[in-house]
Amino acid sequence: MTELAQYVASGLVVGAIYGLIAIGFTAVYNVTGIVNFAQGDLAMLGALGAIGLVAAGTPLAVAVVLAALVVGLLGVVIERIAIRPAGPDVLRGIIITIGVGVSLQGIAVLVWGTDAQPLPAFSGEKPIALAGVTVPPQALWVVGTAAALMAGLYLFFARTYLGKAFRACAINAFAASLVGIPTAAMRALSFFVSGLVGAIAGIIIAPIALMQYDSGIFLGIKGFVACIIGGFGNPIGAALGGLALGLLEALATGYLSSGYKNAIAFVVLLAFLFARPGGILGELEELRR
Amino acid sequence: MKRVALLLAVLAAVYFSGSGYLVNLAVVTALFALPALGLSLLMGYTGQISLGHAAFVGLGAYASAILAKSLGLNPWLALAVAVVATTAIAWGIGWLVFRLRGHHLAMATLAFGIIVHVATVEMKGLTGGQDGLSAIPALRVFGVELGTDLAVLPLAWLACIGAILLAENLVRSPAGLTMRAVAESEAVAASFGIAPDALKRRIMAISGCYAALGGAIYAHYLGYISPGPFDVGFSIRLLLMVALGGFAGIWSVLFGVVFVVVTSELLKPLGRFDVVVYGILLVVVMIYCPRGLLDGLRLAARALGRRLAGARGGAPG
Repeated sequence: MTELAQYVASGLVVGAIYGLIAIGFTAVYNVTGIVNFAQGDLAMLGALGAIGLVAAGTPLAVAVVLAALVVGLLGVVIERIAIRPAGPDVLRGIIITIGVGVSLQGIAVLVWGTDAQPLPAFSGEKPIALAGVTVPPQALWVVGTAAALMAGLYLFFARTYLGKAFRACAINAFAASLVGIPTAAMRALSFFVSGLVGAIAGIIIAPIALMQYDSGIFLGIKGFVACIIGGFGNPIGAALGGLALGLLEALATGYLSSGYKNAIAFVVLLAFLFARPGGILGELEELRR
Repeated sequence: MKRVALLLAVLAAVYFSGSGYLVNLAVVTALFALPALGLSLLMGYTGQISLGHAAFVGLGAYASAILAKSLGLNPWLALAVAVVATTAIAWGIGWLVFRLRGHHLAMATLAFGIIVHVATVEMKGLTGGQDGLSAIPALRVFGVELGTDLAVLPLAWLACIGAILLAENLVRSPAGLTMRAVAESEAVAASFGIAPDALKRRIMAISGCYAALGGAIYAHYLGYISPGPFDVGFSIRLLLMVALGGFAGIWSVLFGVVFVVVTSELLKPLGRFDVVVYGILLVVVMIYCPRGLLDGLRLAARALGRRLAGARGGAPG
């Protein structure tokens, strides 16, 4: 029983990260119609950026905020120089974002080398015992930050003027432009949000999972799997899908084999793509295109 | 045919040049060209993305190596069985993934590629895990081992030229037209009585066959394989070769392969940093020359010529 609870706890922690990355995918996809294959690499870059800043003597909190903002702005730059000139073609969008992701990995190698880098835990390493389950304190940071960020994003999109304009653009960019919403600015905002959220996800998990230049691929694909589970383009589904995937992975790793941990996510991906391509919350419209 | 003759002349020059370096590059080019041509048939002509093509190369290499080494099969027979088996697997994978399109297809093929890569790392009993398989028997022709660059060059290019000619025939045949029709619009193609999914599966099978052939020759030529070369990075490099060649175009894709092989030689001093160049190349080519690097350069040259002519014409007035 405690074994199960332990797996569930670690699954929720990882799932929160997948959920955040999935939200990053969703933000960009809804506004631009592009699946950003560089999403995971933005998370990797955020984590390595924070690690680099801490190593350079910046206080941890400053380093975290700075790294997240810089990666958010990097997202805007990527949108401007690589995504916008390419137009709306799906295939080109995929290949270009792959190119961007590969470039980011190369830059990470140049700056940080190929070794895995640790980030100091936010509040010590001493494990906390909670109802028979032992978790590192960082796990609480992960879950807390993810929950706060998701709530913040929800309030931003649901309540603020800017958030409403953003959603209008996601629903129908052309109609939004007719009523005077600057769609180009909203595209840039979508990349900022996805870069910011992705970077924060990478940073808060970095003390638990070591980060290196190629960690982004797996984070990205798992975020995508979370999107598929939740139904692509649905931010709440994305968050739930992330948690579901995290749980599934933790249980499968615990009870089956850890070596195949990464393959499990892909088997889930394939299963969902074939059996339930609209996800749990469903949005089949995408598939009819 | 003129192009094939020209290619043969270049290869003969390389063969007799006595430069081990050039011969090695030629062999590497042929082994990359096989999967790249297959990918071009799938992506360029049939309009279906695959981000997991390295897996077919890996399957071909591992299947042939295991058959020859562990079962003691004659390497030629092992190669043939491996290629046929991978072709069948590719057809089966096509049966699965072509229910999807666009982003979903891209992710599913990427996932397939990673699953195969993870399996080659984890199935240690069969594949040797990260350590890989060594002492793979070489192919033999009349008692001569095809284990050196010079010895394997004729075989690799024979396979490659065969693949080129077959691919050229295919895209010029009525089947080639149906492929392009499916790439343009599946609904229209279906209304003409083309079954898009069946066609896509067949092209996937051909594409997997090309990739497996490249992989199997590679395994017997090097005598050693490990999971490393068949990872996602290789799939992306194949993508870059095809993109540089403008996706559709047998000979322009061959140019893309040569370009990437030469570039990666030039980038060797950069180490792992070289991927930045690949990434940027991929982005730039997709934005500025969607029909390939050659076409992009041609257009740029023409625009430059026009501007120069314009400047000259404008000057006297």
